[in-house]
Amino acid sequence: MSKQVQDAYIVAATRLPVGRRKGMFRTTRPDDMLAHALRSVLAQVPQIDPRLIGDVIVGCAMPEAEQGMNVARIGVLLAGLPDSVPGITINRFCSSGLQAVAMAADRIRLGEADVMIAAGTETMSLMSQMMGNKVSFNPAVFAPDGNAAIGYGMGLTAEKVAQQWQVSRADQDAFAVESHRRATAAIAAGHFRAEITPYTVQSHVPNFAANAVKIVEKACDTDEGPRPDSSIESLAKLKPVFAAKGSVTAGNSSQMSDGAAAVVLVSEKMLKQLNLEPLARFAGFAVAGVPAEIMGIGPIEAIPRVLAQTGVRQQDLDWIELNEAFAAQSLAVIRQLGLDPAKVNPLGGAIALGHPLGATGAIRTATIVHGMRRTKQKWGMVTMCIGTGMGAAGVFEGL
Amino acid sequence: MQLVELIPTATTRPEVLDTLESFLTTTLGKGVIRAKDTPNFIANRIGVFSMLAAMHHTQRMGLGFDEVDALTGPKIGRAKSATYRTADVVGLDTMVHVIRTMKDCLPDDLWHDYFDIPAWLQVLVDKGALGQKAGAGIFRKAGREIQVLDLEMQGYRASAGAVAAEVDTILKMKNPAEKFTALRASKHPQAQFLWAIFRDIFHYSATQLEHIADNARDVDFAMRWGFGWNQGPFETWQASGWKMIADAVAADIQAGVAMSAAPLPAWVFERSGVHEPAGSYSAAENCIKPRSSLTVYRRQLFPERVLGEMEDARGTAVWENEGVRMWRHPLDAGIAIVSIKSKMHAVGDEVLDGLLDAVARAERDYDGLVVWQEPPFAVGANLRQVYDAIAADRFDLLEATVAKFQRASMALKHSLVPTVAAVQGMALGGGCEFVMHAAHRVLALESHIGLVEAGVGLIPAGGGCKEFALQAAEVARRQAGNDPFYFLQNLFMTIAMARVSQSALEAKDMGFAREGDDFVFNANELLYIALRRARAMAEAGWRPPLRGRRVAVAGRPGIATLEMTLVNMKEGGMISAHDYRVAKAAATALCGGDVEPGTLVDDEWLLAVERNEFVALLKTPETQARIKHMLETGKPLRN
Repeated sequence: MSKQVQDAYIVAATRLPVGRRKGMFRTTRPDDMLAHALRSVLAQVPQIDPRLIGDVIVGCAMPEAEQGMNVARIGVLLAGLPDSVPGITINRFCSSGLQAVAMAADRIRLGEADVMIAAGTETMSLMSQMMGNKVSFNPAVFAPDGNAAIGYGMGLTAEKVAQQWQVSRADQDAFAVESHRRATAAIAAGHFRAEITPYTVQSHVPNFAANAVKIVEKACDTDEGPRPDSSIESLAKLKPVFAAKGSVTAGNSSQMSDGAAAVVLVSEKMLKQLNLEPLARFAGFAVAGVPAEIMGIGPIEAIPRVLAQTGVRQQDLDWIELNEAFAAQSLAVIRQLGLDPAKVNPLGGAIALGHPLGATGAIRTATIVHGMRRTKQKWGMVTMCIGTGMGAAGVFEGL
Repeated sequence: MQLVELIPTATTRPEVLDTLESFLTTTLGKGVIRAKDTPNFIANRIGVFSMLAAMHHTQRMGLGFDEVDALTGPKIGRAKSATYRTADVVGLDTMVHVIRTMKDCLPDDLWHDYFDIPAWLQVLVDKGALGQKAGAGIFRKAGREIQVLDLEMQGYRASAGAVAAEVDTILKMKNPAEKFTALRASKHPQAQFLWAIFRDIFHYSATQLEHIADNARDVDFAMRWGFGWNQGPFETWQASGWKMIADAVAADIQAGVAMSAAPLPAWVFERSGVHEPAGSYSAAENCIKPRSSLTVYRRQLFPERVLGEMEDARGTAVWENEGVRMWRHPLDAGIAIVSIKSKMHAVGDEVLDGLLDAVARAERDYDGLVVWQEPPFAVGANLRQVYDAIAADRFDLLEATVAKFQRASMALKHSLVPTVAAVQGMALGGGCEFVMHAAHRVLALESHIGLVEAGVGLIPAGGGCKEFALQAAEVARRQAGNDPFYFLQNLFMTIAMARVSQSALEAKDMGFAREGDDFVFNANELLYIALRRARAMAEAGWRPPLRGRRVAVAGRPGIATLEMTLVNMKEGGMISAHDYRVAKAAATALCGGDVEPGTLVDDEWLLAVERNEFVALLKTPETQARIKHMLETGKPLRN
């Protein structure tokens, strides 16, 4: 057990709508998205004096180029926060955003801070390559007992999981269609309204006739990924991308996306002092390593750890945000742990909503804390697999 | 399509036509003929008649559309789409329009009765089965199966048309006179069909010549350039024996088996052919018409000729060995030309010796050197020689040959006089490497260039990997960071996947040609431009690139990162273990070997790395099996 001295509470959480790669945020900088998320989340808790913020921890899976140079600190300054507010960028690939929440909570739980912000930001549109601006492998990974699977494409690992856990193409496609159906229904019902802060994209474009630059504005308030017309038939036509005789397609994989989110956490003392209304209590977080070639099963190891840590039983979980990196790994995790499919991603997952890598953990935290408040549910979990072979899971108590 | 028919009106000024013809020829690369203002002009008049004749005889002899297409495609020197597939590609509605033009506008044509739309064709058009653009026509695709309309069945069936062995034997005869005699004599319906369509095309072409074209050459070129025939009707006729064919056609007319009873024009029997060294026959003016004297055609040093025309002199020989001929052309006697002589211009030991000698001679006696031969430019190394050396366990010999290959490439690159590669058609493997090493390239648009060694389990070792490594280093040098790896990734895949350019412009994008090279739309002007370019380079004081300059390479992490791509492809079942090995060898050569990133190396180091990797691959049983399979089947082996 940790040496916890106090609890950490989430008092505000928001996210931008998620854009498809090369979609509505194709030219939007990740530091601008982050700054917008920080401003927006603090606007929800005007009682908090920004000077009280102990640190801003930002998850980002490819912290380089446009999102390099410690994007956290840049986002803080672009958001207009005081110079006294620090910022740190952290990276654990796809769990970076959730890791940021956990680390922010831990600072409070250890009594080192009373107000923290956890966030995530990621652009996959502006990054020139999937694996970063310049990927370079150590020749040592090819040693006979080396770790060549470190370099497996994520889709290839999903193929390995599909083979080992015997997840059929038909099941993967059906899972993907259901993700789109749930997400589309959630958007129609307005279930994301509480967590989304609209963002107005400003594009500087040439007006050739006037020989001048004009600024075009476009308001974005809805996730761009979900496809209402997704069907088993349409997905069945797609060819496997990662293996000649595989089953993982672009249709049953998560979408590459752009997005950002931010969460404000405070101590119980601050909760009372500023008369803040908590959305949720942070209950615990765990990570676990698994073989790199089947990284998709990471949650199978991480979930039992966090449940043991928090004392929450699996059957007590009301809402599980299981990041859908791939339908194959989602189904393997659901089946192996016996998770209730109805409780997993009730509003759809990354196959429909998109997966802006390092931002996703913070985004799904915003989803679960607002979702549990709306549905008056008690226990929620955010969990995901992580490239190079890890899993992460965080538990939240709805209040 | 290569063909452009220019049709002047009565008031068109000649200089307008001349300017337009010159523009079409050089700038657009077209083959231009001047036609008379008659319905469907020349190509469509003869070509559509040819299709109507085929339709007529198909029905008369009860053949299937697929069977006719098997007969009337490449087997008789015509496009692969043959007769009915061509109609599908053109669009059956368009086909109907063109036939209707003949019906409406040629009431006095003696074949007018045949210009009706066949009932089955009208039915297809009426129900929207317009051919390829509509997804169905005479042929359609059902899943993976190609199906053909069967008039007897009133529906589609699997397309299975084939040429009978007896007829195939006739069609393979080298002597055209014997071939036509055999076709006419055969009782096989396919042979009778073929003779019938040729006979009626000869008959129709001879009858229409005076009305539609200035001369027979224009008709033949119209059919070559417009319909993709290897030969036009008159040259086919003449090559097969003018009088023999004329008598046979006349006999059939007499016997009432030709499509029309109209007699052949009298001039047919007064002549022994229509093409002769001085020109081609004009039926309208009853004389021989020489070729156009337009200035633009002086750029075509070896223009396309119809059979029976004069052969062009092949310049003045300077020197030759078994592999190459060195010569000069009167256009610029100060620039030498070297041409590979081997079959398909494969590069063997004698070609390497010849090229090395030619470069040395050019440096001594000439102002520049052009590498040019009729397409293909070169199909790569002589695999037979390679395989024989493997069989004899002479890897020492092979290594020496590779080293010579590299010396030949480097000689082209560092020659004291400018070297220009004039490329048309395939330039593969070693051929591609010569192209890459020349000081300048003049490329016909239709150039298919690639380093295809991976197909036989090898990597480019005539300097191809080295040139790509230098390219990446050169681009990187101008970028912040000076990291060549960024620019190696696409080049690596180009080698690993044995990619071949579909055009000269794509070859530039792939790294085989460069920004300042010349891209020529009319391939007949290739040698002219290459000679002029070499002269211009010499006049500008050509200086070869310095030897021994060092460049930064991507080194060990570069190899590892490229190898990771291979790991993913292999694990995904997309490549074999030997594909992996071959591609890793390419990665090693491109990254400059197992050295630290940013290490500075020179040409000789890079050449040694690719040579060592090449020889190591040669010693593997999988590569040897690939070479053997390629020699035996002409196709790559996946192992």
